[in-house]
Amino acid sequence: MYNGIPISWYLLISAILFTIGVIGVLVRRNPLTIFMSIELMLNAVNLSFITFSSYLNSVDGQMFVFLVLTVAAAEVVVGLAIIVSIFRTRRNINVDDMNILRG
Amino acid sequence: MTASVPTLIEFFVLAVATVASGLGVIIFRSAVHSALSLILTLLFVALFYLQLGAMFIAVVQVLIYAGAIMVLFLFVVTMLASENTGDVTEVDRRPWQRGIAATLGFILIGALSYLLFTGTAIESAAPTSGANGLSQNVAKLGNTQTFGMALFHGFSFPFEITSLLIIVALLGAMVLGRRTLTRDGQH
Repeated sequence: MYNGIPISWYLLISAILFTIGVIGVLVRRNPLTIFMSIELMLNAVNLSFITFSSYLNSVDGQMFVFLVLTVAAAEVVVGLAIIVSIFRTRRNINVDDMNILRG
Repeated sequence: MTASVPTLIEFFVLAVATVASGLGVIIFRSAVHSALSLILTLLFVALFYLQLGAMFIAVVQVLIYAGAIMVLFLFVVTMLASENTGDVTEVDRRPWQRGIAATLGFILIGALSYLLFTGTAIESAAPTSGANGLSQNVAKLGNTQTFGMALFHGFSFPFEITSLLIIVALLGAMVLGRRTLTRDGQH
């Protein structure tokens, strides 16, 4: 059963984490930290999915979290491979310098 | 239904810890410290999942997220840091971005919390009742079996699509990560 804490409190934690992630993406210049901020946002959304799953007494929210986890893993693998290959060609991974699509 | 006092204390301790470690991710200068802070955040979120009764997802979160994904992150961070001069450089050429980002962030959190505390749709949503509800199934079958039944009955098609996604990501990582050698052995 749902544990009785008002659902908006959990959603507020989720909103705060999401905002921290957004600010991280906007402020940081290191693509690795930007990726970590994206993970933070994904986790914020997962937290609200689980909250709704528990509150609405339905397993569907947990399914979505499971699929989001898989997508996050795939995204990190491809994203880190891209960062490494950019670093190999340019020796520098500041996002301000990445203004061309050509290798 | 009101929450018991231990649950409330648990919630507030977890809330403060989660937000603090989440802030650590974007405040620390070094990417390694950010990654460690993110691991902490993920573990705290897993504890939230436990509190909400999602045992299987909490374990998966610790194993896959805090385990596998973050190990990959730390791998890349240390690899780039060792090839680079010291740590990954972070030179801020557009300092005015900070103010704009903070303003936009405050607008976002303000709008979200306004919606949370004035919206009516959330509190009036009806729980799934009767024999098909989550808590009834968990009491009957256990947490993991409930999850597995739902995954392979109602969500089998997304599950299959997931396997395709993973294969594509795997191939993509191999293509991006390979070094092409030219005739004289340079890469």
